[in-house]
Amino acid sequence: MSSLSALENVHTKGQFGDFEGKDDKNLISISESTNLLIVQIVQYKSSNLLLDNMQIDGLNLRDNPPLVSSNDSTRILWNGPRNWLLVSKKKDILNKIEQKFNDNEFAVTDISHSKAIIEIEGKEAKEILKKGCPFNFSELEKNQCLNSTYNGMSVTIDMLNDDPDKFRIFGLRSFGESLYHSITDASLEFGYIAK
Amino acid sequence: MLHIKCPHCGIRSQNEFSYGGDATVKRPELNKEVTDQEWDNFVYNRVSPRGKHLELWQHLSGCRQWIKVERDTATHEIFKTYKANEEVA
Repeated sequence: MSSLSALENVHTKGQFGDFEGKDDKNLISISESTNLLIVQIVQYKSSNLLLDNMQIDGLNLRDNPPLVSSNDSTRILWNGPRNWLLVSKKKDILNKIEQKFNDNEFAVTDISHSKAIIEIEGKEAKEILKKGCPFNFSELEKNQCLNSTYNGMSVTIDMLNDDPDKFRIFGLRSFGESLYHSITDASLEFGYIAK
Repeated sequence: MLHIKCPHCGIRSQNEFSYGGDATVKRPELNKEVTDQEWDNFVYNRVSPRGKHLELWQHLSGCRQWIKVERDTATHEIFKTYKANEEVA
């Protein structure tokens, strides 16, 4: 059985908007991220467990907004007090997480299939985000994340890189198509490559 | 646009928040006999002050936490924000 990605019906590869006469390297690139493990980890208020020794893929859960703990395959985003979003290319770590984080202290939920994930990369990426999101992106740095809205849709934005700027935008799967259209519409004036 | 400093996330736009009512209202103690008037006051009756007011807001599109906001209802100036379980000085 094959699974359909959230943006299967809308994401079309090609060049769009004001791309003519511009070097491909300078265009915004937009792609859909698929096959990622996404797990929400919440520590209950009643839990007094110290998190210092609780590592996943060598990364600590840090209650330190807006920082992201990351390595090549896994990123742990701060999602709120005692609340994290783990995003990983390694799907097999879910079992380890469930073993390590017991039911009495943590709620671990696999939400891999409930998110639409759009990646945008390019030097105007922040400008695209500014068009729909009220956050002050001038103060956002690499390996930081935030929850906010994009044209009214709740999103989580993770800044992966700053040379050039690269972002991963997580929206609810049910809002995936609207979010995709919002992002691509905002990108038209710069010209973009959908990969 | 109003900007609110979430005690967890920092300065954010009002768009991310949802208003949650008067933060000064105290629920009557559990198992204590209350008069109809006291219950009415808790459930329905609210003062509408002009000036400094303590309100509940939820950072709905951010960290999802409830917070207390001290705001001037006439000028919209925000003096201070607190975590929900924080005592207001």
